[in-house]
Amino acid sequence: MQDYFLSIKSLKVDYEQKGEPVTALDAVNFSLNQGQRGVIIGPSGCGKSTLISVLAGLNSHYSGQVLIGGKPPASGGETALILQDFGLLPWKTVWDNVILGLRLRKKNTGEIKTAAETVLEKLGLGSLGKRFPAQLSGGQRQRVAIARALVLEPKLLLMDEPFSSLDALTREELQDFLLEIWEETKLTILLITHNIEEAVLLGQKILIMSPCPGQIQQEVENSLAGASHLRGEVQFLEMCSFLRSFLRGRAHDAASA
Amino acid sequence: MRQALKKSGGTISLLFSVIILLAGWWLLALVLNSPAVPPPLGALKCFLASLRGDLSIHLGVSLYRVLVSLMLAAVLGVPLGILLGKNPDLDARISPMIYLTYPVPKVVFMPIFLILLGIGDISKIVLITLIIFYQILVTTRDAAKNLEKGYISSVRSLGGGSRDLYLHVFLPGCLPSILTSLRLGLGTAMAVLFLAETYATQEGIGFFIMDSLSRMNYEEMFAGIIAMGLMGFFLYIILDKTEKLLCGWVHL
Repeated sequence: MQDYFLSIKSLKVDYEQKGEPVTALDAVNFSLNQGQRGVIIGPSGCGKSTLISVLAGLNSHYSGQVLIGGKPPASGGETALILQDFGLLPWKTVWDNVILGLRLRKKNTGEIKTAAETVLEKLGLGSLGKRFPAQLSGGQRQRVAIARALVLEPKLLLMDEPFSSLDALTREELQDFLLEIWEETKLTILLITHNIEEAVLLGQKILIMSPCPGQIQQEVENSLAGASHLRGEVQFLEMCSFLRSFLRGRAHDAASA
Repeated sequence: MRQALKKSGGTISLLFSVIILLAGWWLLALVLNSPAVPPPLGALKCFLASLRGDLSIHLGVSLYRVLVSLMLAAVLGVPLGILLGKNPDLDARISPMIYLTYPVPKVVFMPIFLILLGIGDISKIVLITLIIFYQILVTTRDAAKNLEKGYISSVRSLGGGSRDLYLHVFLPGCLPSILTSLRLGLGTAMAVLFLAETYATQEGIGFFIMDSLSRMNYEEMFAGIIAMGLMGFFLYIILDKTEKLLCGWVHL
């Protein structure tokens, strides 16, 4: 039996909507190795964000077993979360946004300063410290969000559609950037997307989700992951259309059912 | 350079407004030709003379009452507003009470406050505070309610507890709305102050104005009106500058 870094067994999440019980996730099973990049793809409303909130330790109303590095999920621990928008606080400068996590962890001032300076420099954000998020481009904002996550030296990086509000070129740039960071840190990453190309490029393990209730429909081991030079090549596109047919087929089943 | 131009432009338009206002007043005095509306020059002269006399004491008393009321209203209204804004369940229970009492004009309770709290500063401060409190409470609650949930989850995921959410998300996120409600509340506060000071008191600009009226000293009455107007104006400017200073991120 293999020792996984992230393991989820028969995860079920119910919540109440207008007095009616709704099952957001049911019988979700999957696992990731230490340093593996997983990508979850599926239509909107399939419970992807619920899954992320459980893993980030923001939702403890679940049944089943969730273990991250052998421990149940907890906020403020070794897991960092990056959201699509609204992750950065608009009333704090880049610098204050980046050091917020360290401040909440009661690190001392010197430690905070060194860590933040190092990360900002590494991510090419050194000169932007005094700017507010509204003064940055979308790509820069997501770099800052990544900086704020990395400065905490997490073991697991959760990303909820981190690049979906960016234009195509910026998105590709940030995807490559994420791969570079992963090469350097070998972080375990779980990323949610609804973009098939993004899933193929980033996910060593691609998990296809189906909605109502959210379930993992298919697990795909993806040997093309990380090969950004293959973008647009035949085998890349073939993988994309393979995934697309899966997602389509599912939608078709749902429609005919 | 551009900044300086913009600034001097503001000063010039302010000066222009003052001139138009004074000209309008002067014209009105000329047309009405009544002792109740003296021309501006006499009133201004009287204002400066009264400032050296007891007007400054009355001004001080009124300023004290307004400032304490605004501060108390903010200290009470902001935390409660945020509390209701972040707890929908609690809000659902408390809201009906707010909606029931909000439209009731609180000024009608002035006689009761006078009886219960005396004719000193306290009854006036309580009255003004109560009125402003509602405005701040409702504005803050709505601002807290409408904050993007992403801000909350991102700070919680960083390990922030409810005190941190208060400090890093709710308070700074609601601050622009809070300061706007204070600016709006200031106008109300001045109006209520005037009313409260015309009743059973010997101090404050309201008293000064009504006292001048009863002595038919209209120039002195207008000196009081000028004092009240200027007080409101300067308080407004202070709130405006505070907003620019604390909420720089809104004005990018």
